[in-house]
Amino acid sequence: MFKLLSYNLKLALRNIRRNPVLSALMIVAIGIGIGASMSMVTVNYRFSMNPVPQKSDVLHFVRLDSWSADFPFNDGKAPPNQMTYLDATALLREHRAFRQAMMSRSSLAVEPENREERPFFVNVRATTADFFPMFDVPFRYGSGWSATEDEAVQQVVVLGAETNERVFGGEDSVGRNIKLSGSNYRVVGVLEEWDPLPRFYEPTGGTGLVEDIFIPWQLVITKELPRTGNTNCWRPLQGDGFQAFLNSECIWIQFWAELRNENERAAYEDFLDAYVTGQKELGRFPRPLDNRATPLMQLLDELGMVPDEAQVLLGLSFMFLAVCLLNTIGLLLAKFLGKSTEIATRRALGASRRVLFQQYLVEAGLIGLGGGVLGLGFTWLGLKGIDAQFDDEAVSRYMTLDWNMALVAVVLAIVASLITAIYPTWRACNVQPAAWLKAN
Amino acid sequence: MLTMRNISKVYRTDTVQTNALRDFSLQIDEGDFVAVTGPSGSGKTTFLNIAGLLESFDGGVYELDGHSVSRLSDRELSKLRNEKIGFIFQSFNLIPDLNVFDNVDVPLRYRGFGAAERKRRIEEALARVGLSGRKEHLPAQLSGGQQQRVGIARALAGEPRFLLADEPTGNLDSQMAQGVLDLLEEINQSGTTIIMVTHDPELAKRAKREVAVRDGLLQETS
Amino acid sequence: MEFGPIWRAALRNKTGILLIVLQVAFTMAIVINSIAIAQERAKQMSRPSGVDEANTFSLNSSGFAADFNSRLTVEEDLRQLRGMPGVTSAVQINAIPLGGSGWSMGLKTKPGAEIESVPTAVYFVDEKGIDALGVKLIAGENFASSDIRWREPATRDWADKIIVTRALAIKLFPEEEGYGVGKVVYINDTEPMTIVGVIDRLQMPWSGWTEGVEQSMLVPEHLVGNSTAYMVRAETGRRDMLMPQVETLLAESEDGRIIRNLRTMEETRKRSYEGNQALINILTVTIAILIGITTLGVAGLTSFNVTRRTKQIGTRRALGASRKAILRYFLAENFLFTAIGVTLGAVLAVGLNMLLVDVFSIPRFSWYLLPLAMLTLVLIGQLAVLVPARRAATVPPAIATRTV
Repeated sequence: MFKLLSYNLKLALRNIRRNPVLSALMIVAIGIGIGASMSMVTVNYRFSMNPVPQKSDVLHFVRLDSWSADFPFNDGKAPPNQMTYLDATALLREHRAFRQAMMSRSSLAVEPENREERPFFVNVRATTADFFPMFDVPFRYGSGWSATEDEAVQQVVVLGAETNERVFGGEDSVGRNIKLSGSNYRVVGVLEEWDPLPRFYEPTGGTGLVEDIFIPWQLVITKELPRTGNTNCWRPLQGDGFQAFLNSECIWIQFWAELRNENERAAYEDFLDAYVTGQKELGRFPRPLDNRATPLMQLLDELGMVPDEAQVLLGLSFMFLAVCLLNTIGLLLAKFLGKSTEIATRRALGASRRVLFQQYLVEAGLIGLGGGVLGLGFTWLGLKGIDAQFDDEAVSRYMTLDWNMALVAVVLAIVASLITAIYPTWRACNVQPAAWLKAN
Repeated sequence: MLTMRNISKVYRTDTVQTNALRDFSLQIDEGDFVAVTGPSGSGKTTFLNIAGLLESFDGGVYELDGHSVSRLSDRELSKLRNEKIGFIFQSFNLIPDLNVFDNVDVPLRYRGFGAAERKRRIEEALARVGLSGRKEHLPAQLSGGQQQRVGIARALAGEPRFLLADEPTGNLDSQMAQGVLDLLEEINQSGTTIIMVTHDPELAKRAKREVAVRDGLLQETS
Repeated sequence: MEFGPIWRAALRNKTGILLIVLQVAFTMAIVINSIAIAQERAKQMSRPSGVDEANTFSLNSSGFAADFNSRLTVEEDLRQLRGMPGVTSAVQINAIPLGGSGWSMGLKTKPGAEIESVPTAVYFVDEKGIDALGVKLIAGENFASSDIRWREPATRDWADKIIVTRALAIKLFPEEEGYGVGKVVYINDTEPMTIVGVIDRLQMPWSGWTEGVEQSMLVPEHLVGNSTAYMVRAETGRRDMLMPQVETLLAESEDGRIIRNLRTMEETRKRSYEGNQALINILTVTIAILIGITTLGVAGLTSFNVTRRTKQIGTRRALGASRKAILRYFLAENFLFTAIGVTLGAVLAVGLNMLLVDVFSIPRFSWYLLPLAMLTLVLIGQLAVLVPARRAATVPPAIATRTV
């Protein structure tokens, strides 16, 4: 049996080498087809990843419909994607969920201790204490701050791995001070590399990177820090100045709650409705009640994280793969059918159908396998190629081949090579598949 | 009339030079039935190829029906072949993917006849070989004898002056062979010149005239 | 031509035809729809921003020091920038056209919360704004320097005068001949502003907008705030030389701020359309590879067929086919299959396009793409078989008498 296989392998290699150009074409065609479709599968997969797989069931994005009666947000399909200061602080104060955090984006200048070095700006996430345990943020040194520090508006900071590397050379900087936009902050924690994909917690669009500095949210108020996220208002401010802004109907804060089961979620939504009903009496919330605590994956689904372009390209790439497979099947078929005489001769010389089938399957399989291996390479190359089109660092994270996708690529390669190999082989040997199966 | 004077043909490979025909002269008159015999490698196939304009020759003069063929272009040669010569092959050379009707149609297409004319000729030729009922059959569905009859019909359909038959019964059993020979004789009697190449002396006897080729040289017997 | 017998012979190997027909059809469907998408994106990218893009650059100034005085800094910066040799004009601005982030407001032609508003991008500039952007005033007048005021953060009220783009004017006052110069519009539901001038064109900071991307207005205010941007328009040819000079000058003039994002408008445009350009590139490469594979595939298929039919070709030659006739035979055969392929491909392309229009609001493709692609693919098919077909034509007729 082994002898026969090695004989068939030798024949197959000889046959492949007899038409080097066309054999190469077949292999490259399968390879490119797999490369094209696998890179698009990977991109789509990366865009639709679960950023917090271990907790996605309990994380809920909280939305209140505080919008205008005349021109509802999003045509009334969903409540606004952010919250007003009034509502976010009220919900946080009520503390009705197991955990909850409000957050917004800002920007601060890091002034290195070394006066030689120029200050640099970093994106900052201002948030409240529960952010870290709620999202399972991994710490290398120290920890997040506590609710007490939130209340006392302490100037504390959690550094991302990159900033800690840049400012403190990667050392354990807990307890040390860092100067941010003119004032000193005490480092309480340093993160491990943390890059949830997508950066889910600010679902207002964009593929942005995770911020690298975290500060207590209340500092946004006391220091009147700049807002670098989206701010959206439906109603003019009722006065001038920062306080008027805080009291306005402008939305700019994201609010998350950890609700451990359906009961907690239902209770929380009841609480939201009760809160909004109370606010209605103060003349706010002109729209009908639409307040939601949406589980993370449902939210991502609703937002449609995968860009249309990626989905269209995925479809096109599968058609592309189909063309490549049709191409190779056609070529193999034409090649094998040209061998009818040789096949007849071999049959006459005592080769059974099964042996012949094996011989041609080995040849076709080798071509498919070659294409599959090449396809893995093309997948990697394709992702690199797409990545190279973008300067934006945040995009690169979606153009990475991970082990899961490499495995899928291997499976796709095997399936594609089998599809390519079996039909022409079967036609060449003209066996009934049923008979063939029986023979096995 | 077919005239060859001092035809020579040499096959060269890198190392060997083979004189397939040497100083070969032959004249075949209108209405003749000539058998060209000789063992394998004698040069009779080369003669057939040259006579049938399938191959060029190195020296000498060949006139087919008054045309000297040595300086003709591919297009002119093809046209001459198509109009003057009908081929009958040992292994029939039917196109396996075409049915009987379309096979007979092949040379007529190259002649540029209209559809009606082609249909008339095909049906006439098939009737003549007794296969009118098999127009839709594929070659694989016919017996060897029937296939060769299709081959003959294909050769006849163009109404050529010469029929070149290359071992026409070589792939047939004796009973089928007899039938084919009878058919050839009948065709000859109606005026078509036939040149038959064969290694079989029994077969050659059926011809009106027999010439033998040995080592590229002609030996007239008869 | 002998399409009849070719077709009947081909029917003996239906899978063979099906494979090549499907291949051509899928290729056509992919190619047409890819071109349609790429065309639409290219069209988006070709829209002018209105800014003198070749000579203009922008930068951010971000103050961070506790004692940073933004108003004094802006005044000093503008004085220095405007005095630099080679600078045509410079302006403080809150957002860069095509820059990606900015401020939008709704304008109403009648006061009232219930009135529908027209969205517009807001650019805060002074009287040099028109000059620095390089936009053209087509009606009314520019701001006077006395119109310009300083706007503190979270200020409720707005300037009395604005300059709007032609597109915004038409959107607001479609009936007006003079683009609504002198007309009053309302911001924040009820606050009136008078249109004093109209500029030809100025795009929003967001290039993704397809409709209304030119709906912008200029507001005569300087912004007070730590982070601000400048746009500098250089004399022709002096931009690249000026940029590092400007960066150094501003960086050294004030310690408590950082100069960031020094970019030419061309760079800003490139960043803004990075996604579009990437998509176009990906689609172009896809089309090229796809057509390459299909072409080589067709050539290879024909090549195998020629080998398989050597005897048949010899026989045809013996029966009177000239070399040209053999060549023609293979070209005709290929024509037949690709013609069926592109016809099916046309149907597939339309179907796929309908799906894409439906699900992803991708544009319907222009009708002329259909015949163009069909013709091109047929031509490519003919070219593809040329090499193997010529090999077929050289098969010697003597093959016919050779006994296998």
